[in-house]
Amino acid sequence: MGSLSTYFTSSVGRKQIVAVTGLLLILFVIGHLAGNLLIFLGPEAFNNYAKKLAGLRPGLYLVEVGLCFVFVVHFFVTGVLVYENYLARNTQYGVNAAKGQRSWATRLMPYTGTLLLVFVVYHLLDFTFIDKHGHRSILADGNSYGLYGVVVNAFADPGHSTFYIAAMMALGLHLSHGVESFIQTFGFNHPRYTPMIKTFSHIFALVISFAYSSIPVYILLNYPKVP
Amino acid sequence: MSKINLTLKVWRQKNGREKGGFETYTAKDIDTDMSFLEMLDVVNEQLTHEGKEPIAFDHDCREGVCGMCGAVINGQAHGPLKGTTLCQLHMRNFRNGETLVIEPWRSRGFPILKDLVVDRSAFDRIIAAGGYISVKTGQAPDAHAVPVRKEDSDTAFDAAACIGCGACVAACPNASAMLFTAAKVSHLSHLPQGQVEAPERVIKMVEQMDKERFGNCSNEYECEAACPKEISVEHIARMNSEYRQAKWKAKH
Ligand code: HEM
Ligand code: FES
Repeated sequence: MGSLSTYFTSSVGRKQIVAVTGLLLILFVIGHLAGNLLIFLGPEAFNNYAKKLAGLRPGLYLVEVGLCFVFVVHFFVTGVLVYENYLARNTQYGVNAAKGQRSWATRLMPYTGTLLLVFVVYHLLDFTFIDKHGHRSILADGNSYGLYGVVVNAFADPGHSTFYIAAMMALGLHLSHGVESFIQTFGFNHPRYTPMIKTFSHIFALVISFAYSSIPVYILLNYPKVP
Repeated sequence: MSKINLTLKVWRQKNGREKGGFETYTAKDIDTDMSFLEMLDVVNEQLTHEGKEPIAFDHDCREGVCGMCGAVINGQAHGPLKGTTLCQLHMRNFRNGETLVIEPWRSRGFPILKDLVVDRSAFDRIIAAGGYISVKTGQAPDAHAVPVRKEDSDTAFDAAACIGCGACVAACPNASAMLFTAAKVSHLSHLPQGQVEAPERVIKMVEQMDKERFGNCSNEYECEAACPKEISVEHIARMNSEYRQAKWKAKH
């Protein structure tokens, strides 16, 4: 009855695993954003940061494997929960109408999440597992700008930027529910603070998604005179 | 006193094994001071006169305290009003000529027995799993023998307002029974008498809830909006943390 194994199979326990992994992913999203924004300081600052990160290997591999694990757990456990929820309403209502304030962000959690998964795989193939000094790094002046050049060339393509921005909007929607949701799932709810947490959740999501999107928007508007 | 006419699309289902479907009826000259259940009584009278099977629905007190009644009206559990059971919903809340779609609670944990009647014995099993306290029988104890903090007794009382109607499950997009279970857990764990069994209680009740194959909570809070007693999702948060602590501290 008291064994921990049933914690990991119970509804509440698995929700809390989603919440913990979600929180870790949020921390990653913040850290990654801070690094990315260095692109506004020019090629040197950005490439130096990329080099410093690479200098942290082999320790960095550990972090990457951990992050990958967290991502897979989050995706897998939410997938199982969503499937169970689908089965739990075994016959569908003829009419569906909300009585509360069920938002689009909440309804779309599984879809924004899946889009994020597709995005992350694409993103890794796009910027991580590539030749950082190959033809994609060469800008208008004919010189190679390393990873900085790769990013600028990628976002100079409106289709590429649009997909990136769409994924960041999905991230924003996911977080606007995710942040307030993990706090409730962990077990904190207070008549005074919970409304504040909800407001914070929305503002945080907006800031994160707009800050990430500012990079492709900036490059799109200023290409080809970027560096 | 005014009268209205309505078109009803009612879910009819012979029993749990057969497929159900919507049937259309007209409800004529409905007194707007009637309750929703009285309106159904009028329709049933008419159906009986026509030699048809009346619509089966659950009810008992008809004054909003027993938790027996309930149906989903145009997609909303207990109809459009907040904080109201179906028996306390009056026909003045509907317009003349309106069409109402009337359905049973839909959840794997609440099998349909007939028409609008569902089997809610899953709730009884959740209570039986841990929703009790152990006391010595005998003479009733003195009312003030055990002091209780005012805040705790208020919270326990709010949770104890749950009448177990199942609207939370019906309204939840995932057919989750978290609000019901949380209200029962929170009711007892806020009182000194509930402390002794508190860790076992939350574990047993959550795990029984899972066994009944309700869905998982995804914090959409539709349950709170549909609850005729307006029980807060605060209780769900409390159960989440109680369950986590009970599990991680358990020694066996
Ligand atoms: C693989 C891609 C992802 C998928 C498929 C996914 C899916 C989901 C789903 C379906 C939920 C709701 C679970 C429920 O309500 O039962 C959820 C919750 C959450 N997700 Fe994601 N997600 C993904 C990626 C992310 C990322 C990248 C982050 C962080 C930035 C994140 C943060 C969260 C948070 C904080 C929650 C709330 C946990 C809670 O309800 O307590 N997710 N996710
Ligand atoms: S019949 Fe008792 S609560 Fe409605």
